[in-house]
Amino acid sequence: MARVIVRGISVSTGFAIGKAVFVNRRHRSELPRQTIQPALVPEEEARLREAFATVEAELASARDRIPAELKEHKHILDSHLMILKDPKLAGAAARLIRELGVNAEWALEKAVAELEKAFGVLDDLYIRERLQDVRVMSDRVMARLLGTVRELLAVEGRVIIMAHDLTPADTVALEVSKIMGFATAQGGKTSHTGIMARTLGIPALVGVSDLEDAVNDGDLVIMDGVGGRILVDPDEDELAEYNELEEQFEQYQRRIYRGCQLPAETIDGYRVQVQANIELIEEVAAVLDNGGEGIGLYRTEYSYLNRIDLPSEDELADKYSDLAAIMSPRKVIFRTLDLGADKTIASFGALEEANPAMGLRAIRFCMQHPELFKTQLKAIARASAYGNVSIMFPMISGLREVRRAKAKLREAQEELRTEGKRFNQEMPIGIMIELPAAVMIANLLAEEVDFFSIGTNDLIQYSVGIDRTNPHVSYLYQPLHPAILRSIKHVVDAAHQAGIEASLCGEVASDPFCVPILMGMQIDCISLSPQAIPGIKRIIRQARMSECKALLREVLACRTVGKINRLVRDTIFNKYPEELTFFASLLDNDDLGG
Amino acid sequence: MDTSAAAGEQCVRQVLVTNQLGLHARPASQIAREAQAFAAQIVIAGQGQSVDAKSILDILTLSAAMGSTLEIRASGTDAAQAVDRLMELFAAKFGEK
Repeated sequence: MARVIVRGISVSTGFAIGKAVFVNRRHRSELPRQTIQPALVPEEEARLREAFATVEAELASARDRIPAELKEHKHILDSHLMILKDPKLAGAAARLIRELGVNAEWALEKAVAELEKAFGVLDDLYIRERLQDVRVMSDRVMARLLGTVRELLAVEGRVIIMAHDLTPADTVALEVSKIMGFATAQGGKTSHTGIMARTLGIPALVGVSDLEDAVNDGDLVIMDGVGGRILVDPDEDELAEYNELEEQFEQYQRRIYRGCQLPAETIDGYRVQVQANIELIEEVAAVLDNGGEGIGLYRTEYSYLNRIDLPSEDELADKYSDLAAIMSPRKVIFRTLDLGADKTIASFGALEEANPAMGLRAIRFCMQHPELFKTQLKAIARASAYGNVSIMFPMISGLREVRRAKAKLREAQEELRTEGKRFNQEMPIGIMIELPAAVMIANLLAEEVDFFSIGTNDLIQYSVGIDRTNPHVSYLYQPLHPAILRSIKHVVDAAHQAGIEASLCGEVASDPFCVPILMGMQIDCISLSPQAIPGIKRIIRQARMSECKALLREVLACRTVGKINRLVRDTIFNKYPEELTFFASLLDNDDLGG
Repeated sequence: MDTSAAAGEQCVRQVLVTNQLGLHARPASQIAREAQAFAAQIVIAGQGQSVDAKSILDILTLSAAMGSTLEIRASGTDAAQAVDRLMELFAAKFGEK
C-alpha cells in the first residue's frame, strides 16, 4: 500500500508516475523573530528591498516573455506588480524594520497582518479578496528572504510539479517539456492550472487540501487524473498496476485520436456537429487538433477577471476578431458576459447576495450595466466581419429579456455604422436555455432567435433546485432525471418546429452515457471541452440512429432516474465496453438518487 | 474651491466623488499610478481617515462611495501639479461613462 493517498479535483485526465517537486509551499506560521542591532538595520532594510526587487524583476521578465496568445495573463501580472510597488506593503515592512529593530521576515509578515486587519473590516467582498493577491506576492518575497526559492532549471529529469497554488507567473517560468503533471493544494475546476495542463495534455489535480502535509520533495508519486488521487510512495503492486493503466490509456488516446478529424456521423448516416467549449483563445489549437468543428461556446468572462481595469472595445475587438479569423469558416459562438454569482469583476465590486446563483448575473447584470454590455456587443459585432460569428445571450427567462438584449445589439450595431466600422448585419442571434421558465416557453422564444443552446449544467441545478457544489444535496444532480430529459426533448422539439437549430453545451455533452439519448432526440449540435471530442466522436461513429431512438423511447418510459441510469448504463456499456474504462460518468452517484 | 496655501509647497483641495462606482479598484489604481509619478507626499482624507495616494491598497480601504467629499493634500516640490493631476482624474470620473 502507498504511504498516503490524497484526493483532489481532476481538471485534466491521464496518469503520471514520477518524482514530486514543489515550486512553492504555504509558509509555516512560526517565522523566526530576531532582534536586529541598530547598526545593522540599514543592512536588513537593504535585504528586504533586494528581495522585493528580485521578485519584481522576475515578474517583469515573466510579463515580457508571455506569448501573444496568453496576453490575458498580463493583466494579472500587472496587478501583482502594482502590489509589489505599493508603499503599504514594501514601505510598511521597511518602516517596521526601523521602528521595531526586527528582521525582514518578521516585518513583512507584520505588514501583511496589518493590511489584513484594515481590509478585513470592509464590506466590499471584492476588495477583501484583493488580499489574496497581497498574500501571493508577499509569499514570493518571503521565499526569497528565507532562501527557500527553488530554481527550476536545477530540476533533473521529468517531474510532477506540486505547489500551494500556481499563478501564471509560476507557470510561465516552468520548462514545460519537463513536466509530467500538476497538483495544487488550492484552486478549483476553472483554475488556470487546468487550462494549462489540458493544453499540454498532462494530468492535473487541484484542491488537494492535504497535499503539502502528505508529500515531500523528491517523493515518488502516482498521479491518477482519472480517479482524482495521488498515491505517495506506492508499493510494487501499485506501480505495476498503474504502469499498465498508463500504457492502456496512451493506447486508447492514440486510437481515439486517429479518427478525431472524421465527421461525427452514425453508421446509418445521421450527422451531428461536434463543437468545443473554450475560455481562452490559446485553446484553439486543442480544438482543431481534437477535431472540433467549431466553437459552440466561447466563455467571454476571462478577459474581465483578475484585472483591475475593464477591457476596452478595441482590445476585445482585436481578440475576438483573431478568434473569428483563425476558426473561419468554422463557426464561433460568443456567449455574452456571464458575470455575477461567483465571478465578479474589479470595477463593479461584489453584491452581498444571499443567493448569488439566483441573483444579479449574466444577462441581468449586463442590462444593469448598459455601457459595459455595449462595449462587448460592439466588439463581438466587429469580429463578425472576420469570420463565422454568432452571438448568444445567457440566462434568458422570458421574451422581454430577449427583445431588450436584441435591441441593445441593434443599438451597438448602429453606433458601429455611424463610426464607419464593418460588421455582419446577419449575425445569427441565439439564447441559452438554462432556466425552467425558458424551457416552458421555448416555442415562444424560438420565434425571436436563430438558435437555442441548452446549458444543462445550470438547467439541472435550477430544475431540481440544488446547488451541486453543496455536498449535502449534490446526489440530486442527475442529468437523466425524467424531468431533465423531458425538458431537453421539449426544447429540441420546439426548436425544430420553428425551424431553428438546437445545440447543447454542458457536461452532459461529453458523457458517453448521455450522448446517445441526445442523438435520439435529434440534437443538431453538441459542444464540449476540446479534449473530450475524440472519445465522443468515436462513440457517435459507432452508433445507429435507430438504436438511439429506441433507447430514448425506453428511457422516456421509465419512471425514476435510478431505473433510467441502470438501463442506460447496461445498454451503453454492452455496446462500448472498451470506450468507458477511463471515463468517470456523471451518472456515477445514481444509487443515492431517487 | 482652491485653498492651496501660499506658504511653502503645500497644496490642499477638496473634491467630490462623482463617479457612480466610487473609489473602487479601477479608480484606485489610476490614482496610485498617477501619484507615484510625483515626488510630493500626497494624502487623501475623508470619512475620518487619511490614506497614502501612492498606495492602491490604502486607497481601497477608504471605500469612498459616490457623493462623498474628500480632501487631497500634497506637500513637496511638485505638490501643486500633483493635486491638479488628481483633480483631473476625479473630474473625468476616471473614464467611467
